[in-house]
Amino acid sequence: MPSASNPHALSMLVRKLESIAHLSDEEREAILSLPIRVQALPSRQDIVREGDRPSQCCLILDGWACRYKIVGEGRRQILSFHIPGDIPDLQSLHVHTMDHSLATVTKTTVAFIPHRALLDLTTRFPNVAAIFWRDTLIDAAIFREWMTSMGRRPAYGRIAHLFCEMYLKLEAVGLAAEHRCTLPITQTDLADALGLTNVHVNRTLRALRGDGLITLQHNTLIADRWDELTEAAEFDPTYLHLENRAAG
Amino acid sequence: MSLHLQPVRIATGTPDTESQLVFADGFLVAVLVRLSDDHGDMAGMWYLEAGFGPVEYSFPPTFTNLDEAQAWIEQRLPGAPHSL
Repeated sequence: MPSASNPHALSMLVRKLESIAHLSDEEREAILSLPIRVQALPSRQDIVREGDRPSQCCLILDGWACRYKIVGEGRRQILSFHIPGDIPDLQSLHVHTMDHSLATVTKTTVAFIPHRALLDLTTRFPNVAAIFWRDTLIDAAIFREWMTSMGRRPAYGRIAHLFCEMYLKLEAVGLAAEHRCTLPITQTDLADALGLTNVHVNRTLRALRGDGLITLQHNTLIADRWDELTEAAEFDPTYLHLENRAAG
Repeated sequence: MSLHLQPVRIATGTPDTESQLVFADGFLVAVLVRLSDDHGDMAGMWYLEAGFGPVEYSFPPTFTNLDEAQAWIEQRLPGAPHSL
């Protein structure tokens, strides 16, 4: 299928980039004119696999995706969750062999952007290249935070921390407000992301609910007591480096 | 190698209180907890709440019944046919 520009789809990317940096009108126009191929994918499907050498990047337009690795006995470690506006495999532009896999979590609509178009964009607009670099640095900051959580935070704080992070990421691209957001992941996803067992996740979610910090219903997370949730998580949003975040 | 079970109540801070201490030749090697109704499909299964020495496991499994749990524990103990 040939690639064509689709400004409506690409506005999600603009929204994401503008959540972490400023774009000029010209840069915004150039991004909106990128050639893309939009594809609807079912849930739980690989988009790119470890070992692949992709020639395109994947922009999430709708739904959730995750990066993961499989270790011994088929156990899965989820490395990150991704939401609309994210390009989870942006690094494939410069690091050519995938060292992990990317899969959909929910039904997902993605836009594939050819590497050559992104390379051309970043050559013509060095500031856009700098913003992509900034995005990968923030990606690394999120990894540091996950590492800290998994190594040193108890399950209660670990889950609370992830909830705070996902809420703020969704809020930053206009997909969440008033401490309420979609959370279309299973307890197994949470366990695989946070290095916990399903049993431990289930107990801990019950504790978080029992303490009145959150409500979970129909794939929606409500942070009923945001301040207490951030306190339980020892959550400091600095690492997300969001430009225009509304106060807690 | 013979395993000996001793029922205890355990303070997980959740309704998962029914538990068995598992001894091998007099040494405590594992703590199994029966999952309460809180756990939906997994209710009634046995969870390796703690394992010691070779029974320690970074990804604690859940077992359908105590026989299955004991077979898994025995296999990990020294002297088992496939022990490390």
